[in-house]
Amino acid sequence: MTHSLQSLVAEQRRRQGTTLGLSALAAAVLALCAVLLMGLSGWFIAAAAAAGAGGKAAVMAFNYLLPSAGIRLLAILRTGARYGERLAGHAAALNALAEIRPALYRALARGRPEAALALSSGEASARLVQDVDAVETLFVRLSAPWAAGAALAAGLALTLLAGPGPALCLLVAMGLLLVSGRLLARRVSTEPGREVQAAVGGLKDSVAAYLAAGPDLVCYDLEDQAVAAVMTHDQRLGRAQSQVVDGEALMAVLQAVVSGLAAAAVLLAARDVAIPLAALAALSTVVALEGASGLLRAFERAGAASEAERRLDAVLIPLAEPARSPDPFGPRDLTLPVGGGVRLSPGARVALVGPSGCGKTQMLERLIGLRTENLEGLAIAGAPLARLTPDFVRSQFAYGPQDARLLTGSIRDNLRLGSPRASEAELWLALADAGLEDRVSTLAGGLDAWVGEGGARLSGGERRRLSLARALLRPSPWLVLDEPTEGLDGQTEALVIARLAQRLSRTGQGLLLVSHRPAPLALCERTLRLTGDEASLHTPANAAG
Amino acid sequence: MRFPLSDHLAAGPRPSRLAPGLFWVLDAVGAVVFALGLAGAVTHLSAGVAGGPWPWLGALLAGAMLRAVSIFAATRAGASRARRLKGFLRETVFRAALRVPAGQAAPIGERAAAVVDEVEALDGWFCRFEPLSFAARISPVLVLGAIALASPISALILVGALIPFALIMALAGMMAADAARAQFEALGRLSGLFVDRVRALPVVLAFQAEAAEAALVEGAARGVARRTLAVLRLAFLSSAGLEFFAALSVALVAVYAGFNLLGLLPIPVPETLDLGRALFVLALAPEVYLPLRRLAGAYHDKQAGQAAAERLAGLLDGPAILPSAGDDLVAAPDITFEAVQLAYPGGATVGPISFTAPAGKVTVLLGASGSGKTSLLSALVGAAPLSAGEVRVNGRRLSSEGSFARSVAWAGQAPALAPGSVADNIGLGRPGASAQAIAAIATKVGLAAAMAGRAEGLATELDERGSGLSGGERRRIGLARAWLKPASILCLDEPTADLDARAEGEMIAVLGAMAEGRTVLIATHSEQVAAMADHVVRLP
Repeated sequence: MTHSLQSLVAEQRRRQGTTLGLSALAAAVLALCAVLLMGLSGWFIAAAAAAGAGGKAAVMAFNYLLPSAGIRLLAILRTGARYGERLAGHAAALNALAEIRPALYRALARGRPEAALALSSGEASARLVQDVDAVETLFVRLSAPWAAGAALAAGLALTLLAGPGPALCLLVAMGLLLVSGRLLARRVSTEPGREVQAAVGGLKDSVAAYLAAGPDLVCYDLEDQAVAAVMTHDQRLGRAQSQVVDGEALMAVLQAVVSGLAAAAVLLAARDVAIPLAALAALSTVVALEGASGLLRAFERAGAASEAERRLDAVLIPLAEPARSPDPFGPRDLTLPVGGGVRLSPGARVALVGPSGCGKTQMLERLIGLRTENLEGLAIAGAPLARLTPDFVRSQFAYGPQDARLLTGSIRDNLRLGSPRASEAELWLALADAGLEDRVSTLAGGLDAWVGEGGARLSGGERRRLSLARALLRPSPWLVLDEPTEGLDGQTEALVIARLAQRLSRTGQGLLLVSHRPAPLALCERTLRLTGDEASLHTPANAAG
Repeated sequence: MRFPLSDHLAAGPRPSRLAPGLFWVLDAVGAVVFALGLAGAVTHLSAGVAGGPWPWLGALLAGAMLRAVSIFAATRAGASRARRLKGFLRETVFRAALRVPAGQAAPIGERAAAVVDEVEALDGWFCRFEPLSFAARISPVLVLGAIALASPISALILVGALIPFALIMALAGMMAADAARAQFEALGRLSGLFVDRVRALPVVLAFQAEAAEAALVEGAARGVARRTLAVLRLAFLSSAGLEFFAALSVALVAVYAGFNLLGLLPIPVPETLDLGRALFVLALAPEVYLPLRRLAGAYHDKQAGQAAAERLAGLLDGPAILPSAGDDLVAAPDITFEAVQLAYPGGATVGPISFTAPAGKVTVLLGASGSGKTSLLSALVGAAPLSAGEVRVNGRRLSSEGSFARSVAWAGQAPALAPGSVADNIGLGRPGASAQAIAAIATKVGLAAAMAGRAEGLATELDERGSGLSGGERRRIGLARAWLKPASILCLDEPTADLDARAEGEMIAVLGAMAEGRTVLIATHSEQVAAMADHVVRLP
């Protein structure tokens, strides 16, 4: 199954087909009416002038009812078409938005989990959202070619009344406008757009670095230096934005110049025809060229949108589906590639230790199905991990990650992740076991208190304990905790460890623990030491023997 | 409505909205010249007419060029105005964000978004909305004036249509404003939800909740789409109203001019048109409305700008850390905390707590996570305001001086760095310190040994994030800086966090040497550090 972005977008185009068709139709009618209204008005005035000069008989012979009624009808039609175009275009974009984002999310979830790990940084995810936005704007602009086409068709029909010369002038002018607009857009809109994104990223990082600084700023008079550093990024952003604006301004210049030249050329080409027809040709040429402005704006966005599509496609690499073995039955013992292979029986409590950077966290991520590479030596119930479905693998573990990432939402939203159907009492029990019960009960709203963006309203230690409580709620055979007591004081740490020991005895869950702090290691009956590639095994039993 | 940031902007550069606004007005002048050229060229097309079409075609082209140049200049002038204003505002907002006292501060992410995104949201306001609203008051009058010269009655017809046009703009704007703002925020929240769930995807996958979270994103997106469309139906109705009057006025002028030329008007009018005047008026009629339509197009800029400005005003008018006043304290002082209380928004408090840190001695504040150790130290430099009680330093009162930052050397867990070399960052402790003095201190805190493996040593260039430094190296830069600062008070925040027992022992030896001759306050939860203290304060 493929889930490239193009197929997502194509599917949305199909689904929104009716709305998009309506919007294109309305855009075409709009352009048509605008050209006809101006052309007809010009012709009407010029013809009326000729009739007026021709004396009473000519005036009486002049049919003024039809053109004047036509002009009013066109004015009303134009209004309706504008309304229809804008509403249908936005409806298609909004409905596509409501479909593409969840579809993209599902595709990401089915894809390589490494992509998900890479997206947990702020910059990568912010770029993802910008890319999605860029693709969504495509939908609002889909009617632009129809508008330009209708304007050109109407313009050609009217200018042809004044002869092939004026019509040719319009055709050449439209071609010139679109081709040079396309080239200009390619040159000015892609590279500066990328530079703007990069500059915004740099600015954000710099600002965040200093906002995290605290009393250093006042004790070392760092404020001015901080401002200077941040404003360097601001200026880089400003320069990039100027280039983008210059591109947009050049596009407007192009349109005005081509339109002026075309009007002059059409008039010259219509020298030998009757004045009403010349007026008709000149005015409809100007308005027809205006009908291309939507398409020119679409060109400006096209570069960014196609880049965005490429980047999104790269994220959506589908997970290769190897031959899967059926989910194993029986006791879920684990095999780890440490010291030539260690088999851990269900309910074992094991610590993974080793110098920082030796790959403890990565090994945990491989084990629990968040990485798909280098799975050699890992097995559940004797079945190699590479042959098991991610769903089965993930169902075996309850994970408390090192970064203790929380969902933006309430305490309850986060706990529900661990157990969607847990009772109120179970939630409070898990909080108590994580040493967070007292804190949550003093929060306004209790379980429904808002934890802020990614848990920003909680302290580091509180985030860690909530992440622990969430893992405790998940009824999996193995609890996998990465630095569960980092940032806790000794007293709280001791409490959390004691409660955890009680809970493990009660549930019979196994424990895999990574910690550089000594206290939590007391929970474990075995210690596996990782030293980079070379891993050796230390257990009290072995040491004695 | 008054712009919420007017007072703050008054202090900065005040690039006038006149320049870009006037260029937009110049565009209207170009339109008049273009219409003149077009009408003249049509009436002088036949070879028989004196002068021929050439001068008129010249005017037509000149008008087109003038428009091109004006739009180009207006766009660029608007952007450069916005750049200057945003730069000033960004600096102001960043300083305010830095000065928000600890405990009262919004999370770093929110404040960073204010400095970067909220200021950026004002771009359209400065660069388009304000100049266009200036031009929207002048250009229509100018074009109407030109039309009146050719045909006063046509000008009257256009004014007649302009009044309902303006009324619709005002009324529809007011009606749609609240709904549109609510929608704008809903869309923002939706985007936030999506990005949050993407960032949390590894956790969501580990908990096998991807289906539930995708459904959540889907439900939210559907809801926003449905409600937004309801709002747009109304909002576009108002723009359709604008469109209707613009189209109608062109039609009315065309019909009027035609009947005038035919001599068939039902009521007598005091003017007789000729073809040239009629075409001129017809070509110009849409231009009366163009500035207002452009302004309506910048409506979203206005919404976004207004909302961002209100949020920024809240930050700019909020509480700020007080600057350090008074003389430096030369000798190590006694520091007395008397029933000190610190209050956080949301009701949490620290204290009341009382203790004395004796002059020249090491005092350790020992307590659990969240007991307020760091906040108490921050109070000394004004970064956490007192809500009750008093801190006396050699008898001088914190409540009247605001901060003793000038006399405090501070070393925290992740010291702030400025772009520059490692040595520059240590040198911040004592401006003008010699390279030898800096190198000597670096050796004492063990930084020289840690950095020995790097080609550049202490000359290694850093960015503000300290990219490439380990946490330990970074912390030692902070210690070296604090050691170098000739300050009589030394504050250390968790100096041994995350160190194993051996490294902690080494660190305690360094701390002992640093402490000489100063009054030292250490916030820690390490009993080993407490063991080196002359005086231990246990926080509840």
